[in-house]
Amino acid sequence: MRGCVSNKLDVKQGTLALMILTTLESLGPLHGYGIARRIEETSGQRLVLNYGTLYPALLKLEQAGYIKPEWKASENNRRAKFYALTAAGRRQLARERKEWNETADLLSAFLAPRPT
Amino acid sequence: MSFLRIFLARVVGLLRNRRGADAELRAELEGHLEMEIAERVGRGMSPSDARRTALAASGGMTSAAESVREQRGLPLVESIASDVRFAARTLRRAPAFSLVAIATLAIGIGANTAIFSVVSGVLLHALPYADADRLMSLQSTINGSPTSVSPPDFADWRRSARSFTGMSAAYSSVTVLTGTGDATQLSQARVSANTFDVLGIRPIAGRAFLAGEDDISAPRVAVISERLWRTRFAGDSAIIGRVLTLDGFPTTIVGVAPSAMRWPERDDVWLTTRFTEKDLSQSSRGSRYIAVIARLAPNVTLASARNEMNAIARQLEAADPRHNTNVGTRVDPLLSSIVDDVRGPLFVLLGAVGFVLLIACANVGSLALGRLAAREPELAMRTALGASRGRIARQVLTESLLLAIIGGSLGLLFARYGIQMLVAFAPSDLPRRSEIRIDFSVVGFAFLATLLTALLFGVVPALHGGTSDLRTRLSSARGSFGRRSTARSRQALVVTEIALAIVLLTGAGLLLRSIAQLRNVDPGFRAKDVYTFSIGQLPRRYGTREQEMELTATLLDRIRHVPGVTAADVSFSLPLDGGGPQFTFTVQGRPEPDARNEPRAQARSAGPQYFTTMGIPLVRGRLFTDSDRGGAPGSGVLVISAELARRYFPNEDPIGKTIVTGWGGPGWPGQKFGGTIVGIVGDVRQRALDGNQLPHMYMPYAQWPINEYNVVIRSTAGAERTFAAARSILRELDRDIAMSDERSMTEIVDASMGRRHFYLMLLSAFAVVALLLAAIGVYGVIAYGVQQRRQEIGVRVTLGATHQRVLMMVLGDGLRLSVVGVAIGLAAAFALTRLLRGLLFGVAPTDLATFAAVPVVLLAAAIIACWIPARRAATIDPVEAIRGG
Repeated sequence: MRGCVSNKLDVKQGTLALMILTTLESLGPLHGYGIARRIEETSGQRLVLNYGTLYPALLKLEQAGYIKPEWKASENNRRAKFYALTAAGRRQLARERKEWNETADLLSAFLAPRPT
Repeated sequence: MSFLRIFLARVVGLLRNRRGADAELRAELEGHLEMEIAERVGRGMSPSDARRTALAASGGMTSAAESVREQRGLPLVESIASDVRFAARTLRRAPAFSLVAIATLAIGIGANTAIFSVVSGVLLHALPYADADRLMSLQSTINGSPTSVSPPDFADWRRSARSFTGMSAAYSSVTVLTGTGDATQLSQARVSANTFDVLGIRPIAGRAFLAGEDDISAPRVAVISERLWRTRFAGDSAIIGRVLTLDGFPTTIVGVAPSAMRWPERDDVWLTTRFTEKDLSQSSRGSRYIAVIARLAPNVTLASARNEMNAIARQLEAADPRHNTNVGTRVDPLLSSIVDDVRGPLFVLLGAVGFVLLIACANVGSLALGRLAAREPELAMRTALGASRGRIARQVLTESLLLAIIGGSLGLLFARYGIQMLVAFAPSDLPRRSEIRIDFSVVGFAFLATLLTALLFGVVPALHGGTSDLRTRLSSARGSFGRRSTARSRQALVVTEIALAIVLLTGAGLLLRSIAQLRNVDPGFRAKDVYTFSIGQLPRRYGTREQEMELTATLLDRIRHVPGVTAADVSFSLPLDGGGPQFTFTVQGRPEPDARNEPRAQARSAGPQYFTTMGIPLVRGRLFTDSDRGGAPGSGVLVISAELARRYFPNEDPIGKTIVTGWGGPGWPGQKFGGTIVGIVGDVRQRALDGNQLPHMYMPYAQWPINEYNVVIRSTAGAERTFAAARSILRELDRDIAMSDERSMTEIVDASMGRRHFYLMLLSAFAVVALLLAAIGVYGVIAYGVQQRRQEIGVRVTLGATHQRVLMMVLGDGLRLSVVGVAIGLAAAFALTRLLRGLLFGVAPTDLATFAAVPVVLLAAAIIACWIPARRAATIDPVEAIRGG
């Protein structure tokens, strides 16, 4: 697999999948361009996704059955492939969110500055 | 969970319409780019700037598409598939190389598979009995050497031993079936009643023997083989309960044994032992003729069973020192006792054929290296285009694998026919011959051999293909770098081939010398023009001895009148035909010896003309005459062999002395074999040409009639006419007399060397193939060298080198390689030929003549192989060579 490296921050495969799923959850069906834009904005431009990172991740989520593609007309009447979250995708997102929060709690407890 | 789903989706992706998916992906990516550009233009960029920056931000459309494609299918599978397709194209483009390589590998793998099928069938497969590894063979030993068991010993063992759940006795003989068409001689086994239970064999019809049916008081019952049932009785189930006449006795058939029943041999009919009181008495301790098997009880180990049997042997020794001193026991797994004496030779053959495969590998490896050098520019180009070293090495290895798999499949096909030939040529005394076939394990072996082969011959070229770096490669596309290292490797491979070929040639040479030595052994008789057949038990209506003898006399008289026949007589057992009874005896007037020193001799009943027919010379005294007849049993005359005289009458004249044997054997109940010595005849090899000279005693047929015998005929009429005449005489005489085993004595002598011939045939075939492959290897390397050195040779010729000099130079190159290989090979042969010791006769494993002749043969082959390229080198046109490269 080609390196998932932007010029600003590393995007780990698992985290990228999570970002894509949350994006689709909040914005509804979206094409690749829209997803990339939204993730870049949310990250405050700290993340830049090139195609070689984004599209394999989309395909993998599609193969796992979490998202479903559909060709539709875009806002400016261009045909584009829109990705929509599936029921399985929603469940997966809930699961991952829970896990992430637990991990984050745990880690922040460890990483919190200790009273000396 | 999702991993599995992704994997399945990728497998589907592998099979789906790739072109459609690619088009869709392109559309999607381009759409993305368009939107980027539109957005940038919207922010006020010029369209061209917008496109440029958008493209830069995308990270490359092509590589993105490639990443998606990798995620779509299974990239490893796809690249392997493309490697295989590419390899197939490459091989098709070099048909000569591919054909030679595939043929070489097919021969190597095929020969290995065929030999493995023999090893697998004979040595490795379990016997066709239930829990066969718990079945043991029990033997007696005298002074440590194994021998058959006597009925009283067997009875004692069975009474005392606790290590076994069942113990059973068996011995084979022949029987004559009459009353259903022509009399037929059948092979018959006499077995204990529990034999089928011990083996775990269930009859396919009727029943096995019941307990007690092996008692002498029980009625005569028999189980027949499935083969006899189907061929003779058309598989009729009414056979059960039918009464057949065997040896003139009514015998009730109670069951049919499946074809898996091969104990003690592949017999036609099984009867029970029905030992008489005499058979089981103390005086029969020395008559050892039965084979004993037993099933190890659960939780009993082989070692503890051996301990118990040894203890029993010591008890018997203490109870009867006269018969049992130094008599021990031996317990071995049944399978190993059956195949014991072929195990060593078969593994030697497997090793030898393994050498052939190694040579084949070296040869193909060397060819592949040569080809690799020729492909240097192509490989350089591919490296320049970004192929990694590993990628190229993988490609080269894929080619090797493809070659090996094609070769291996062809080899398996070869093996199929090879095995048929092997079985046809295998000596009849090769145990478990019918078990040899292609089965799962044989195919598995062929597959493993193929993979191993690909690795062996593919690894060196793969390393070469993968290592040299780009710059040297490109710059050397026309030069000579890279070729020097491949040339080195090729030379090393050829040296290996020659060394291996030397080892095989030496082995074959030693066996060849052994057979020649064996042929020089004087068997003690003149086999040429002697024909023999055997007569099964005479019908019982010749109830008295006089009637039997009269029939025999009539038969012999008519045979002697057949044109071409110069002499004919009868004999019980023949030399070199599987032994014969061995008797212990005492010389009258001497003190009784103990068991250890008891004189023993091969005993044979024979007619007066037996000696002239067989060409056995009279040394002293006289032969039998027609007047040596009648008299009380044991008071007749005897002729002894020179060896018996030497061994047991070292300082006295045996003629006039009287010999008495201790027992009569199964065929002579209640009578003792013996008589007064009247003559001494020449020694005859009884068991094998390479065996020790055994003492013999001959008893006149007229005083010791036997109701089954061999007829020997000396005739100049040839086999065909002699046997035809004998058959018609016999038919006229009595249809109920079975005639079988029609053979010439020459055939018997040859058959006694059967296994050695078989080993020699195979080993020579391997050696010849090895020699050929090695010669091809030498040719390949030298021819390639000449090709590479065209310019240099051209320069030499221009500078005044004569044709002869060039010729000698190339020949010298080849010979140097060969001499190194020969030296290594001789050292290896010196170390390895001791493995052949058991197969050799009259030749030391380090026989000087063989070790001297083999290098000569190989060097001659090498010179012939070098001659063609050397000639080519000598006729090189210097101008053309220098100009054309």
